[in-house]
Parts: sequence; structure tokens; C-alpha cells
Amino acid sequence: MTRPLISRRAVLASGTAGLAAAGLGLRAPRAFAQSPVSLQLSWLHSVQFAGSYIALQRGWWKEAGLDVSLLQGGPNAPVEPPVVSGAALVGISAADYTAAAVEQGAPFKIIAVAMQKNPFVIASLPDNPVKVPADLEGKKIGMALANTPVLQALCTLNDVDIDKIEVVPTQYSAQPLTSGEVDCLLCWETDLPVAMAIQGIESVTMLMADHGYAVHSQTYIATEDSLANRRGELVALLSGEVRGWEAYREDTDAAAALTVEMFPDAGLDLETQKLQAERQVPLMFSELTDTHGFGWWTDEAVAENIATLALLGRTVTPDLWDRSILEEVHGS
Amino acid sequence: MSAAADHGVAPTTARRFTGLLGVVSLVVGWELAARALEGAFILAAPSDVAVWIVQNAGLLGRAFRVTLGNAAAGFVAGNLAAVMLAALALAWPRGERVIAGLALLIFCLPLVATGPILRVLYGPGPGPQITLAALAVYYTTFVPLLVGLRAAPSSWFDLVRSYGRGAMAELVHIRAAAALPYLFAGLQIAAPAAFLGAMVGEFTGAERGMGVLTIRATRALDVDAIWALATVAAAASMAVYAAVGVIARAVLTEPPPVILSPPPMPRTGGARGRAIVLTTAAVLGFALLLWWGAMELFDLNRFFAKRPDDVWAALVTAPDAAETRATLAQALRETSVYLLPGFAAGLALGTGMAVALTLLPAIGAGATAVAVALRSVPIVTTAPLVVLLLGRGAVGTIVLVAVMVFFPTFVACLHGLRQAPGQVIDVLDSYAAGPIARLWHVQLPAMLPAFFAAARMSVPASVLAVTVVEWLATGRGIGSLMALSASLSDYDMLWSSVVIVALLSVAGYAGVGAVERRVLSVYAAEQMTR
Repeated sequence: MTRPLISRRAVLASGTAGLAAAGLGLRAPRAFAQSPVSLQLSWLHSVQFAGSYIALQRGWWKEAGLDVSLLQGGPNAPVEPPVVSGAALVGISAADYTAAAVEQGAPFKIIAVAMQKNPFVIASLPDNPVKVPADLEGKKIGMALANTPVLQALCTLNDVDIDKIEVVPTQYSAQPLTSGEVDCLLCWETDLPVAMAIQGIESVTMLMADHGYAVHSQTYIATEDSLANRRGELVALLSGEVRGWEAYREDTDAAAALTVEMFPDAGLDLETQKLQAERQVPLMFSELTDTHGFGWWTDEAVAENIATLALLGRTVTPDLWDRSILEEVHGS
Repeated sequence: MSAAADHGVAPTTARRFTGLLGVVSLVVGWELAARALEGAFILAAPSDVAVWIVQNAGLLGRAFRVTLGNAAAGFVAGNLAAVMLAALALAWPRGERVIAGLALLIFCLPLVATGPILRVLYGPGPGPQITLAALAVYYTTFVPLLVGLRAAPSSWFDLVRSYGRGAMAELVHIRAAAALPYLFAGLQIAAPAAFLGAMVGEFTGAERGMGVLTIRATRALDVDAIWALATVAAAASMAVYAAVGVIARAVLTEPPPVILSPPPMPRTGGARGRAIVLTTAAVLGFALLLWWGAMELFDLNRFFAKRPDDVWAALVTAPDAAETRATLAQALRETSVYLLPGFAAGLALGTGMAVALTLLPAIGAGATAVAVALRSVPIVTTAPLVVLLLGRGAVGTIVLVAVMVFFPTFVACLHGLRQAPGQVIDVLDSYAAGPIARLWHVQLPAMLPAFFAAARMSVPASVLAVTVVEWLATGRGIGSLMALSASLSDYDMLWSSVVIVALLSVAGYAGVGAVERRVLSVYAAEQMTR
């Protein structure tokens, strides 16, 4: 009696396998002598990953013998499992999510950090602004309840009484702020404030990273097994990323234009992408990366991350971060 | 389950006029409301929606084709699976209960959790979208088919046998023909469900499609786009629903049945009790075997593919099992606060409206057409809209659950009320009994099986609604817990939630069935034999 279910699954599976095989068949000549690797992105295609698009479009990975597929994320898309199972060589995660996965037994290392500064901000409107954490007291904040530990950490770091803040659970949208339901939002510097600006609404943003919230974001993760056995591919993948992001920094408008052009079906708006591209530069580049190159981090930053992660209930040790691949990339 | 169709009497000009009037006033009211709320980023006016659709016709067209293609593939796969399951149940009657139970259990798996799991299994591509679409449709086809394959008078079978023909001839000449109307009834409600499944599947990392555009528009505060996407998805769902109806009318000599419920348990008393226990044990046993076997077969990594023993450990033997159970119980409590009032309100409103329309038949025609159409609007598109309009508090969620329950209940009850035997009504009329007496003594008892069929199928539907809203909007309850567990790699919690939600849905479904038997035996004993 289990047969029909299995055969239904088998039919579906073989159907997709057939499709996949057809796809591979088409790709095979082009991909000759290239090793196929996948990079699992953490969200929908957007300028958030433009450095990768530049590397892909300019053929830098191909030169290094890699045939890279960029796997899109989404609101209900798993990021860590494809990396664990080996379906993706590298995934884009964040230190807090990586720490959670490691706690569950995933053998991950952070091998590069795209966003040195965490992109979380408190966004508010200019006539009732939140400029420093103390301003939060007495305000209504709209956020996902799941992010309560994040707010708690910010409050602890800045001696703010969280009980004086009213948390209103909202979905991830700027609408509760624009409609006056809440006084401020917990969101990313690079999405909801950008959406509001494009709609003609100026907002004030307080970057949590400027107030002690140190959690590396958009981190590149790989398994210990890959670090031991697929170093060549990891170095080639990351050096393409580094070149891509350095080119991105040269001309963010061009990066935005390329993103819109590469994904015509994603419903991207060029002006939104340009503004987002511009606003993520200060999160990704600093004197540190000018000196050591894109993706770099310091031991002090790791210590700060460990302290903030502890506030979020995550216990990690410095060996979660592994700089050896980056050293090879920048050393060569 | 209940499927309904706007079949029967061809719509008269007057009915068409009422319907048109309804649509026009709806659009005008919408436009006025949007103008009044301008600047709040809540409601886009129909004129703005139309402009957005025209300006983005290319993008929208491509996304629509992708989603429709995946929905169609899932529709075909799911319905084929349903046919195969029904055929198996027919070939092996003793296993029918177990097959039906297993089919229900799989149907009750929450989309919010199955989405990411399927993405991991398939990797990139349309696999999860197609599978979720198939999962969304197979049960609503399987159940009516099960009924339909038996819905032939026994004298027909005698006839086939008297010609010396066997089971194959029976299947081709009698069962297939008898099942056809039931198949169409299932296909009709399956069509919009496939669209919903495909859109939810796109949330797991699809490159393109209507679901992808919906996520983008919600984040970008692009209210025109949100409403335009919802309008197109709704219109498409209604169109496929109507198209299947048209095909059914062209193919069938009689109208498709409206009430689709699984056949009742045949035995009575202690024997039935024992049969239920045996069936339940067999269903659970096969489910565990299937779960464990599939994971071992595909050699899935234990980091995310938790086996039955992992879930058992997480819930029972692990040191933090009590904590896990407490988290789950807390989430379920939060969810039930929305689910139960919404479910009850949907049932009450659906029944109430149907009764009111029976007493006031003049306004009935237009309202039925609108309700049948609105029932096919996918929940992923209505969820953001209702939350925009009613906020993220309890009201918005309860209303959404109620809406999900209301339409099928309304349509089923309306049909049930019309099933009242004419002769009995004639008798009451001859005694000059009023419409209330007629309603109480004849029409309501006639409606009960339809009502309960709708109530039963509303259990998984309302669980789907509440988990989707919790996940996309309110961030509370079991729907949010599942999404959060997936993002925090807490796959023990995710799989535990899946198991609990599926079991509770099945229990709710069975619970409604138990209430049904009690009520029918007291109030409408003649309905017990169907």
C-alpha cells in the first residue's frame, strides 16, 4: 500500500531529475573542464549580492576553472542545509545563524565576512526620531517577535530598559511606520529605509553596529570537510568574490544596473537598487578592508562578536572564524 | 469536503444582471475606499492596479506563465496520484481505510514546513513548487473519486456479470462512468489549490514567478503591485475554476455532485471502535515507515532530515525535551486563540448566510456566484491584504481563518438546503406551515451532511490559513515557530511541529466526524445512510 506514494514520489523525482539532466546536458559543452560549484545566497536576487554577479558576468570564476551557480534564497528558503549536504560549496549566512547551526551540529566555519557592520537599524521618522538607544524608551517599535533577543541585546549594551519599549509584532514592511501604528522599526539599513526613500518618505536610521551590536552579517560559510578537501575551489570562489566586490565598490550604479539586467524576471527597480547599492558600501568597506582586502576581520572584531552573540544566547569560540582561505586569496 | 458548482439552471439574464451589478458596486466601493485611504500604503485603487498591470505587463506575464506552468504540472501530478490511490483502494478494499487515513495525514502536513524541506531535497529548480501544488490538490480529488467509483447501482454490476464480463469491464463501463462527475468536482476545487501551492513553493527560493514578485512588492511598500498581483492571482484562480466547470458541463450528462465526503465507517458499536483503533495504528505505522524509509533511501543528512527517532528523542527522551514540549504547547495555545474562534465564526457565518439566502431567495443568485468565485482566491495573496486592512492583531488573523472556512461552508450549506425532498416540503405546504417550520423540519436536516462535510475539510484549510498568517504577518504561534526553527537550523523543533500539527489536524478532522455521527443519529437519522 505504500507503493503508490513511493511511485508518486518517484515519478516526481524522476521528472525533476530528467529536467535537471536535460539542463546539464545543455550546459555540458560550455562547462567542459570546469568544476561545478554552487553558492547559496541568503535572499532573493538583488544588489545585495552584486559582487557575485560581477564576478560571474566578467568570467573571473570561469578563468579559475569554476562553473558557479548562484542559488537564490527567499523567505522560506533553507540556507544552511544545502551547505551541510554539500549541494552548495559555500553559503551566505550571518554569525548568529551560523552559531545556531553549529550548536545543532553543523560543522561550519566562517571563511569571509561581507558585512563587517551588522545592517540592523532602528528606523524612525524625522519628526519623532530615534537617534541614540536611549530614545527608544517610551516608543512603540514594530518588529518580528523573533527578533526580541536582538532588541534585548541592544538594550543591555546601552543600559536601556527594554520594559519601557512597547513591542508591536509586525511583518517585515515599512507600512506600520508610515501609517503611524509604530514610532520605529527594527529592520535592515538596506531594505525598508530604501523602500521608504523611493516612495518619497525620508527616515532616520540608527545603525545598531554603531552602538555595540557586533554581529558579522553576510558571512561566507563552508564545512570543515570542504576546508580540508576542497581548498582550491574555496580559494577560487572567494577570490572571484573579492574581485567582484572590489569592482562593485568602484561603481555601485553599474553594479545596480547589472543586477537589474541579469534578473529581468525578479521585478527589480533600478533606482531602488542604486540606492541600496550605495547604502551598503559603508557596511562592507572600511579602512580595515582597504588595508587587508574585502572580507577581512580582526581578532578584536571576533571578540566583540562573541560578546554580542553571548547576549543573544549563543556560545561560540574564536575558532568559528577561519581566515586561512582569505589569507591565500589575498596573499596570492 | 465539499465542492460546489454553479451548475444546474442556466443563469438567466436577471441573474447575470444582479451579478454584474454586484461586481460593479464592488469595484466602485473599492475605488472610493482606496481614495479615502490614500497615503496610508494600505489599499490600492482599481485604477492604480490597472495602470500597474499595464505598465508591468511583460514582467507580470512572464511570472504568471512560470507559476501557471508549475501549478499545472502539480495539478497533473497530484491528480494522477489521486487516481492511482483511488484505484489501489478499489483493488484492495480492506486497505481502503488505511490508504485514506495516510492520504489525509500527508494532506495535513503544514506547507510552511514542507516548503523548505522540499527545497533541500530537490535543490534549485521547480521541484518544490510542483510538489507543493500536487500536495495541495491530491486529497480533494482522491476523496470524491473514492465515493464516485462506488456510486453506481448494484443492478448495473449484475448486468455486467450476467454478460460474463469481469472486474475490468466493471471498471471501464460502470465505475469510470459513475466516477466521472465526482472526478470533475474534485478537479474543480483542485485547480485554484494548485495555484496556491505553486506560489507558496516559490517562497523557498524560486528564481521567478508570482510568489517571488509578491515578496518583493511587500518589502518595497509597493501597494499597487501587491494588489495587482493579488488581483491577477485571484482572477486566474477563478478562471481555472470556471474553465473546469465549463469542461465538466460539456463532458457530463448530469451535473457534478456538490457534496464530497468520504464514505462513513460501515460498522457499528464495538466492532467499529476496534476498526478505528486498528486503522489508526496501521496508518501511523505506514507513515513512520514511509518517513524513515524515504530518508534512508535518499540518504538524507541527519542535520536537517530528522528521523522518527530524532523527533521522539526531541519530544520525550532528550534532556531538554520538557522545554521543547513547553515551547510547542505555548505556540499551539497562541495559535488556538486565533484558530478556534475563526473556525467557529466561519462555520456560523457560512451556515447563517446560507439559511438567510434560503429564506430570502431573491438575493441568493448573485451572492452564490460571488461566493463560489471568491472561494478560489489563494490565501497567500489575501493574507497580506487582510493584514494591511485589519492589522496584525487577533482580528486580522481570526477574520482570515473565518474567510477560509466561510466560503466552502456557505456553498455546501446552500446546496444542502436545496436537497430537501420536494415531497416532504409539499406535505408541510399542504399544512400551511411557514418558511421557518419548513426550514427547521426539512431543510436543516437535509443540510447537515453537507455542513459536516464542509466542517471536516475546513480543519486542514483553517490550519493552513492560520499558519500562513502567523508566518507571513503576525510572528506568533506555531506557524511562526516553524519558520523560525527553520531559519535557526532547529530542525528537531521543525519536525516536531510538523508531526504535532499534522496529527492535530487529523484528530480535528476525525473529531468533526464523531460529532457528525452523534448529531445525525439524533437529529437526522435518515441521513446516516448515504
